[in-house]
Amino acid sequence: MLSFLRRNQVLFSAFLSVIFSLYIIAPAAKGQHRADPIGPLLMAVMRPLQSAIQSTVFGVRDFFGGYVALRGVAAENERLKARVRELEGEKSRLLEEEATNKRLRELMEFRTEWAPKAITATVIATSASAYFHTLIIDKGRANGVEKGMAVISPLGVIGQVVSVTGRNAKVLLVTDSHSGVDAMVQRSRARGLVSGSLDNGPVMKYVKRSDDLKEGDRLVTSGLDGVFPKGLLIGTVSKVNKKNLGLFQYIEVGLALDPARVEEVLVVRGNTPEIKD
Amino acid sequence: MKVSLLFFITGFVLLLFQTTLPRLVPLGPFVPDFALVLCVYLGLNHPTVGAVVGTFLLGYSVDVFSSNILGLNAFALTLVFITAYLSSRAIWVHSPLLSASVVFLASWVKGASLMLLWATFLTMERYGVGSLKYILIDATLAAVLAPALFWALKRGQNYLEQVKMPE
Repeated sequence: MLSFLRRNQVLFSAFLSVIFSLYIIAPAAKGQHRADPIGPLLMAVMRPLQSAIQSTVFGVRDFFGGYVALRGVAAENERLKARVRELEGEKSRLLEEEATNKRLRELMEFRTEWAPKAITATVIATSASAYFHTLIIDKGRANGVEKGMAVISPLGVIGQVVSVTGRNAKVLLVTDSHSGVDAMVQRSRARGLVSGSLDNGPVMKYVKRSDDLKEGDRLVTSGLDGVFPKGLLIGTVSKVNKKNLGLFQYIEVGLALDPARVEEVLVVRGNTPEIKD
Repeated sequence: MKVSLLFFITGFVLLLFQTTLPRLVPLGPFVPDFALVLCVYLGLNHPTVGAVVGTFLLGYSVDVFSSNILGLNAFALTLVFITAYLSSRAIWVHSPLLSASVVFLASWVKGASLMLLWATFLTMERYGVGSLKYILIDATLAAVLAPALFWALKRGQNYLEQVKMPE
């Protein structure tokens, strides 16, 4: 028996791992979660490295964005090429700083206007898997972030905090197939649930066939889920299909912003005042 | 021991890249799945109990940074390891094309197992043709990465196995 186990120890340990994984997953079926002793430690170790890489990544991306945009100018005059390159670098840096300032100013104005208790956070990491759409932000329990809080930006809905450690939080994006935002059509007030999907991107579910919707309609948060403040822009209706779908319509949604590309966000409680257009 | 340390550090660095670098590349929702490629490599070329534990921890770490439910990727990547390990008894992966093919199939195992778990325990949603397209793109991306990563890991493993321990 012992020699059999020793001969097959790799398979045996792998099957044990599979069973242990199922043991960890099982409570989720009932909406519960097991305590996670490793996650906070891993996040704490990775946090400074991720922050450093993310800053470098944004710097490199913005530098090359500016460089490519200005290459035509450099080609016009060979003699000034070196000088132009130097200026390109400088301009890219300044443009990046200006863009960052503009973003932060907008975020601050938005925050001062209606959500003075909002927590400003920076995105330091993205999901490590294509099947899950999440972000890691650099604020956690120590900064007042709690599980279930809404994550938004002046341009629209981003997601919801699903787990928190001391100095980090994980945000489930609205594009994830397991997320859900109670939404309504601004024009007709028809309601539904906006969620991500692996099939065709974000969709609006559970909208009655009799409800009035058309392409281009703006979708805003209803505030009824208790997570997102009422009136925040989600996106627009990009496709409506009423055929062969029983009680409900099939609606595809074009989000107002790509939540995976944001760099700074606001974390707020759901019971904040309604946003005015 | 040294080889295990190599894979541990590689796993850590790959996870770090996987959570940060995708923003530099316009791949939409898709993420280069370095973790999957590493697990397939371990299953084929370094099948030990330590590699099983490493695979589980790598999957769990991916869950920590990605999933709202812990254990999903740990489950999927361990299944990938088992598949690679069992297939290593029948095939010998010696060419880049073959490594890409094995990773491509392993990615399907991962995608299918994730969807099976979702469908069984966690959601009432149905997965359609769009989901298959999603897995196909993810698997193709992983397969493209495989030859280079396999080559680098093989080089590192060979080098460390040849280096003698100090007396």
